[in-house]
Amino acid sequence: MTVPLAYYLVLSAVLFSIGVAAFLIRRNIITVFLAIELMLNAVNLAFVTFAHQWRIVNGQIFVFFVMVVAAAEAAVGLAIIITIFRARNTLNIDQVDLMKL
Amino acid sequence: MTAAGYPGVSYLRLLLMTLPQIAIAATAFLALTVDLATLRKASLRTRWRVGTLIACAGCAGAILLLFLYPQYGSFGDGMLIANPLTRVVQTALLVLAAFTALLSFDAVFTSHIGEYLAVILFATTGMMFLVASQNFLLIFISLELLSLSLYILAAFNKSSRQSAEGALKYFLFGGMSAAFLLFGISLLYGLTGSINLVEINRAIQGRPLTPMLAVALVMTVTGFGFKVAAVPFHLWAPDAYQGAPTPSGAFIASSSKVASFFVFAQVMLVGLAAGQGSGAWHNSKAGWAPVIVAVAALSMILGNLAAIVQTSVRRLLAYSAVGHAGYMLLGILAQSAWGVRALIYYVITYALAAIGAFGVLAALEAGDNVGVDEIPDLAGLSRRAPVLSFCMLIFFLSLAGIPPLAGFFGKFYLFSAALAGENSGPLWLVVLAIAMSAISLYYYLRVVKQIYVGEPAAAAPPMKISRTVTATLCVIALLVVVLGCAPNLLVGWIGSAMHLP
Repeated sequence: MTVPLAYYLVLSAVLFSIGVAAFLIRRNIITVFLAIELMLNAVNLAFVTFAHQWRIVNGQIFVFFVMVVAAAEAAVGLAIIITIFRARNTLNIDQVDLMKL
Repeated sequence: MTAAGYPGVSYLRLLLMTLPQIAIAATAFLALTVDLATLRKASLRTRWRVGTLIACAGCAGAILLLFLYPQYGSFGDGMLIANPLTRVVQTALLVLAAFTALLSFDAVFTSHIGEYLAVILFATTGMMFLVASQNFLLIFISLELLSLSLYILAAFNKSSRQSAEGALKYFLFGGMSAAFLLFGISLLYGLTGSINLVEINRAIQGRPLTPMLAVALVMTVTGFGFKVAAVPFHLWAPDAYQGAPTPSGAFIASSSKVASFFVFAQVMLVGLAAGQGSGAWHNSKAGWAPVIVAVAALSMILGNLAAIVQTSVRRLLAYSAVGHAGYMLLGILAQSAWGVRALIYYVITYALAAIGAFGVLAALEAGDNVGVDEIPDLAGLSRRAPVLSFCMLIFFLSLAGIPPLAGFFGKFYLFSAALAGENSGPLWLVVLAIAMSAISLYYYLRVVKQIYVGEPAAAAPPMKISRTVTATLCVIALLVVVLGCAPNLLVGWIGSAMHLP
């Protein structure tokens, strides 16, 4: 039995929405960062599904690049988060508020 | 596209097409190696001198390569394209990168000089690829190379809490917008089976605006709207501009703006122009037009009104950048070659004025050894640093759009392109843009008034400004004046690159 492609796409959209919601709701910087990773992985799922649908490999190739970029992003992002933590000993995003609109 | 799709990949051609980018990346490694290996015990001044020299030589070499070995055509499924227009934009990017390196000269915020210059050059490599691609894969990778470098540059002042905070906000919003852009790309790929802009455009031509296509369009606009700091995706800009070390701020405000707007226009006009599917792109309004109209109007209003109440010069520049992004969207909205020409002229002259304004702030910081942030800090500057004050006057008047400076002609070309042609944007939007430019004059003049009329604090001696920085600022100011007095120098160049009469 094969699972219809639409199911994968719905799952991808749901994961992406969870990511967006977590990005907006969660207050810990690391969790917010994880929410971004979740969104990227939701996109990966969509790419693989579409690649399967079109029977073209470039969608799957795209996924590899997304993963590499996500890893690079983690390196830079965690470095910035460490700088923040050193400066104020907190990872609560509400307390990172030196500058206001 | 399978590997069999490219019979006979010519690696020599690939090498020739990427030669300028390779040169810049090699320069980055050279700057890094020289600084780390041979200059460990040298003074900061020597290290800045050597590093800046290497970076500028690399940029000059890359410009030389662009013109010695001009390339044409496209390579590998639109991965790399080269034509006179990309060459114009790449030259502008390289010049701006060299200016950034020169303006950083003698800066005191970091002792990691090799790394700093290398990251600037990596960002430039990313931008060079970004403007020379019509394939979403390479656009995404080079956009991320650019963004990641900019996050690092924004966080470069490790002793400042504001720097880290600005970088964090920039990073988080940037990461989210990258995810939105990717989601848009994946939907477009799902709809068309291609990641090549030209093929995507061909595939969506003649189709109705289905919900999935609409979502893809909005997601893509969100991703790029963040990069160009348009409302409502502008939240990072004021904090990043204010927190970042001033030369990094200059880079974020100038070069990355040029590259982002060019690729935004490319994606919208080459890739998604047929969005609504009523014929060829030059005689129908694309489906994304209403989204861009809304974003442009909001950017103009919010950017300019918020700039009025700012007390920090950098935040003022950030909000005015949001307003300028609103004007520049008019160039995309025009959906014509004239619009693109006006957009490129505007964004290049805007970048010159912005890098100059930030450069003056950086020079003051280095000269005074204190942060210059609030507008009152600039009081009576004309008596302490007359040359810098005059440069600042030119940059701010150009940003406000006063003739005969470059900013005026930028606005003139942009607004007339937006009104001309069958595809013109709505008239009320242009009227709004003109009204908002008038408002912008008020807050720019407020800063200029402090510089020329305000009373300096007692016992403020004349400043010692590095000669390199002063000379660079004078060259930038001269460019702003010359491009304003003879706009045809640049407009004609862009026009002939686009084969416009």
